[in-house]
Amino acid sequence: MSSIWSNCLAKLENEISSSDFSTWIRPLQAVETEGRIRLLAPNRFVLDWVKEHHFAKIEETIHQFADGALILDLEIGSKKPEAPAALKVAQQAETKKQQPNFLNKAFTFDNFVEGKSNQLARAASTQVAENIGKAYNPLLIYGSSGLGKTHLMHAIGNAVLQKNPSASIVYLHSEKFVQDMVKALQQNQINSFKEYYRGLDVLLIDDIQFFAGKERSQEEFFHTFNTLLEKKHQVVLTCDKYPKEIDGLEDRLKSRFGWGLPVSIEPPDMETRAAILMKKADMAHVELPQEVAFFIAKRIPSNVRDLEGALRRVIANAQFTGQKITVEFTKEALHDLISLQDKLVNIDNIQKTVAEYYKIRIADLSSKNRRQSITRPRQIAMSLARELTSHSLPEIGDAFGGRDHTTVINACKRISELKESDVKVAEDYANLLRSLSH
Amino acid sequence: MSMAKQLPLQFVFRANQTFQDFFSGVNSAVVNHLQQCVAGNGEAFIFLWGQTGLGKSHLLHACCHEAQQRKLSCFYFDFNLAQAADSSVHLFNDLETFELVCLDNVEAIAGHADWEQALFNFFNQHRDLGHKLIVSSRTAPKELPVQLPDLKTRLNWGLSLKIQTPDDEGKTAALIYKARRMGLEISPQAGRFLLNRASRDMNSLWGLLDRLDQASLSAQRKLTIPFLKQILDERPG
Repeated sequence: MSSIWSNCLAKLENEISSSDFSTWIRPLQAVETEGRIRLLAPNRFVLDWVKEHHFAKIEETIHQFADGALILDLEIGSKKPEAPAALKVAQQAETKKQQPNFLNKAFTFDNFVEGKSNQLARAASTQVAENIGKAYNPLLIYGSSGLGKTHLMHAIGNAVLQKNPSASIVYLHSEKFVQDMVKALQQNQINSFKEYYRGLDVLLIDDIQFFAGKERSQEEFFHTFNTLLEKKHQVVLTCDKYPKEIDGLEDRLKSRFGWGLPVSIEPPDMETRAAILMKKADMAHVELPQEVAFFIAKRIPSNVRDLEGALRRVIANAQFTGQKITVEFTKEALHDLISLQDKLVNIDNIQKTVAEYYKIRIADLSSKNRRQSITRPRQIAMSLARELTSHSLPEIGDAFGGRDHTTVINACKRISELKESDVKVAEDYANLLRSLSH
Repeated sequence: MSMAKQLPLQFVFRANQTFQDFFSGVNSAVVNHLQQCVAGNGEAFIFLWGQTGLGKSHLLHACCHEAQQRKLSCFYFDFNLAQAADSSVHLFNDLETFELVCLDNVEAIAGHADWEQALFNFFNQHRDLGHKLIVSSRTAPKELPVQLPDLKTRLNWGLSLKIQTPDDEGKTAALIYKARRMGLEISPQAGRFLLNRASRDMNSLWGLLDRLDQASLSAQRKLTIPFLKQILDERPG
């Protein structure tokens, strides 16, 4: 940091509010040369704001510390190496293999925990990594947020690189593709942009639902996609839903996305959730007792990111206090998270959600009606209450028209069997679990 | 006659917002995790939540201050400013290059599609570069009315830390500590007296501290119990 600027910062810190200082002044980077200081703002917005609200004050302060005349410039830029935008990569096409691929090395097939909910997606991803451009092209992995789509995508990239370190691979989010394209258009470099993306061996694009409504980007992506497929280069995509269900996506893209293999990832069941926690703890070199893993898995039924968030808290608390991780310790560490979960999911809203889902009345769930159109939703609601709340079985039975706790046990057993044998029940249960847990 | 009364300078005293100026008390674990994050030894993403007045903004500024000492590039933004007429999501352009970004009061943009989308894009790019992010909110991430599911799961991903409200003893200690950093001496007895007489939420206590500072400066008196009684009996303002 230049001495004039550091003196200036120290003075300004005491003269303007903390909020203004941290937002507008601290992020400015100073490049000092003889008789001149260039202040670099990260973007146009910050530059304009500083110019309008703080420049006079900065100028005045700088001149207090400078010997003699000094030119002060404010411009957009950064002293640190910028994020290597794909555009810049394109300009150096000859050295592209050395360029960053944005792959996270921590996401591999080895540390991806397989369960019923994701085994097809994992198997397809492994196939793709072993036979790029040949097995399934494009491979489309779809499912709700936080279930491991991105993990599989990075795992494919890492596996391909391990086999062939010179393969040109890029992982990027669809929004980044859009941003890079807009920049390329603005800077008259669209040809380099096209050349770069169309020359990749493997293109991994995350969350393609964000292409919705962006026609120019869809057009460009459509051609990139076709070129890569024609050359038998691999394309892997993820999406939060089956592409045909995305509004604002052109039909020709929807149909092409379905050409290869679309595979879904469902929310993990409790055993898989516990296994994920054990694996993540192991990766952090922390010993997580099995009963603790099951305790967290039962309390956090939604998605893998939520599980990781909870595990982070437990590990951080244990490291700070030096205590051993037990169920009691975990209960305390996750106290507010658990009470929140209990507040969000209770028997009342389970009954309401199930009744709405099956288009029956809430009162039907507590009635003596024994028609299958009522008993099945009732059994599902009881199973959900057992999985998602901490109520005792007699309490659950009581909430469903004063039924005995053995009725609840039978209902849970029946649903557990049906989830294996009846696809419709399995799907309904997964949908309800998802909507209650988010 | 108020002739003897010296007029205080016309600015509100602003205590420095560093870690040293923060009374950790029941929140020592929170402070430790934040310090570890900035030092690069802890979690790269922390979600700090809790009631207003407990010092979330102070801690975010302290993180920025610490980052600056460590020569890290850092950026702070209070989302309460996001709805101002001259604010814009373009603020996020290229911010991913900052090694530490602190975003205060994220609840202010929950439900605002443009800002949610901009934060989501920023989050992904910033994380891909391995940089550190600290976000604060009044509510737990799970309770935020965020509409974009992809953003919601990401906000739940980090280490979420709840900033705790201290008990009365802790509040007294915090008041005495902060007063001392402002150059004011409050005895333990005087501290307990204030806690028994004034509103006990932290925002009110900080407001009271400013009043005490002004009154002490103006009257050139120490903060004794009789003087405190006199100040509390006067209507503020």
